[in-house]
Amino acid sequence: MWKFAPILFLLFSLNGFCQNRPLLYGVDDLPQALMQNPGTRIDFTRHFGVPFFSQIHFFAGSTGVSAYDIFADENTDINDRVRRVMRDITAGDYFSVNQQLEILSMGWKLSDRIYFSAGIYQEADVFAYFPKDPAVLAFEGNADYIDQDFNFSDVSFTGELLAVYHAGLNYKFDAKLTVGGRLKIYSGIFNAESTGNEGVFRTVSTPGGPNFYRHEVRGLNVNVNTSGFASLRDEEGMTVDEAVAELMSRSLLGQNIGVGADIGFNYRVTNQLSVGASIQDLGLMFHQKDVENYNYFGSFETNGLTPLFPELDGNEATIPYWDIFEERVDRNLNEETTNNEYTTWRPLKYNASFQFGTGMSILPCDYLISKKPRFMNIFGMLFSGVNRPKGPTYGVTAYWDRKVTDRLRFRVAYAVDEFSLTKLGFMMSSRIKNFNIYLAANDILGYTNLAKANSASLQLGMQFIFKDL
Amino acid sequence: MYNKKFIQLIFSGFLFSFLLTSCFKDVDFSQAENLSMEPDLEVDLLYYKLNELDFLDSETSAYTPAIRDTVRLEFLDDDYIQDGLVYAALRFKHENVFPYEINTNIRFLDKNGRNQFNVIYTIPEGFEGSPAVIDTLRVLEGDEIQKMRRSIQMVIDHEVIGGDEKLQGNLKFMSKGLFRFEF
Repeated sequence: MWKFAPILFLLFSLNGFCQNRPLLYGVDDLPQALMQNPGTRIDFTRHFGVPFFSQIHFFAGSTGVSAYDIFADENTDINDRVRRVMRDITAGDYFSVNQQLEILSMGWKLSDRIYFSAGIYQEADVFAYFPKDPAVLAFEGNADYIDQDFNFSDVSFTGELLAVYHAGLNYKFDAKLTVGGRLKIYSGIFNAESTGNEGVFRTVSTPGGPNFYRHEVRGLNVNVNTSGFASLRDEEGMTVDEAVAELMSRSLLGQNIGVGADIGFNYRVTNQLSVGASIQDLGLMFHQKDVENYNYFGSFETNGLTPLFPELDGNEATIPYWDIFEERVDRNLNEETTNNEYTTWRPLKYNASFQFGTGMSILPCDYLISKKPRFMNIFGMLFSGVNRPKGPTYGVTAYWDRKVTDRLRFRVAYAVDEFSLTKLGFMMSSRIKNFNIYLAANDILGYTNLAKANSASLQLGMQFIFKDL
Repeated sequence: MYNKKFIQLIFSGFLFSFLLTSCFKDVDFSQAENLSMEPDLEVDLLYYKLNELDFLDSETSAYTPAIRDTVRLEFLDDDYIQDGLVYAALRFKHENVFPYEINTNIRFLDKNGRNQFNVIYTIPEGFEGSPAVIDTLRVLEGDEIQKMRRSIQMVIDHEVIGGDEKLQGNLKFMSKGLFRFEF
């Protein structure tokens, strides 16, 4: 029966959807697996990352457009290409950039059952939906869109830069179940977000009305919250060194603070089959310092200006119709800058996986079950997602994990997600004595020409990993 | 042992070289200079509905066959707008119920009051229930667009041909502009 496992695995993999960092998920001899699932099974007794180099992670993606779609080196007008892209792209398409840099990473076995890990990393996360309606209005105008709504709700983005201090425990409950949790303290450096916006702009044809059209702004309610922005903006003449020093001070819990947690588990259903799941960054950021909010709200409509044909002698000024119009606009469409504290959820990530091992081997591994059998080939599938302002983004990855030796391991993955239907990934981890180096690249087909790729991600790092028996 | 190191080297070399040779191909980012926004904006301009009282002096009730008003179109008094404007199509529509022809002169002036262009027509006489309609389109493009770029005041002159204090009826006006920009 298990002979057919690889075939079933491939068939399933063709029906999935994927994203995240699947190449490091569940890799039991990399400490980074604990960052994705604190309850994962691990195969080391101590680790210490090379400061600033234990994990460098970068991801960038766009669901609706690639650089080639706009900047293709061909004999067509770039503006025609922009118009074509704008026609095809939807308000649900998005751009996403995520970067992480592990500053410190360490961990050690506290007892036969418990592994403690802690560290500091810096993260930047930018996620923006394509603001289709405002973009169409700016690029094409309203002439071809009479009686149609331009929705301000299309403006939706989040961006944050923060440092994360974390400590977690991995607890082997019994031979089958491992659970884990990680507490995080977020130190906000910069945040900007504008979500849940409302309102429409519409040009309505009005046959039988006072003029050809009525221009309306209805239910406008657009908010942009920022923290860590106002002080930098006001610091004219700040040198780069001063700006870096300022940002560094904020990363040391000197500015806005948040708290969060990761939890996860791994369960061995049979000797060969295991399942696992985790959630990451279940947490909140409390923006209380250096906060500035920009609010735009109100409703307004106009059919144009109405001259009154007053009786004026030659010296009298005409009625300032435009000024009166502007006053009306200002009364009805308000702009307000405030300094109200606000709270944001961190983008919650969730993973669920199962994996199946074949090719049993007796290697000195898994400190909790040392010298117990392990499998040289692991076939797995990971379902992952991230909560975003308009709903979660999903992906599915199927992988083949191969332990060539106790010191060399690679993983080949195929994923489907909202960026690509042909996402191939490759990870290699190697250990020379206790020094480990790993490199993982996802969407490697895209690396042949990044201009045509909808996404690319890369993780690499080096650290000391000990497998004391 | 030799084999392990060999495999290790092969994989590492393959992955690193693959990543290092990745690049942006078949694209020309210098085209960004040619990116432009070309919105076509439909904008209501002026509208009104005049009746007989508008042609009578408010103090003496004397008949005044000629009336005028000036409206500043401040949204056109902006360098960004003026530089980007490449085409304008102005539409003026009058519906006359007054039983007299009405001479109409719609003028566009620059900030110093100098005439840039105007639209002149006579609105035929109309009747209650059967208004005379005159719908006029004035397109400015090419060299003429300069006139629109300089214009920030719109002046409307009406003169009723004939008529007296017993004038009855109304005159409805609608106007809009289609402005095409290249930013």
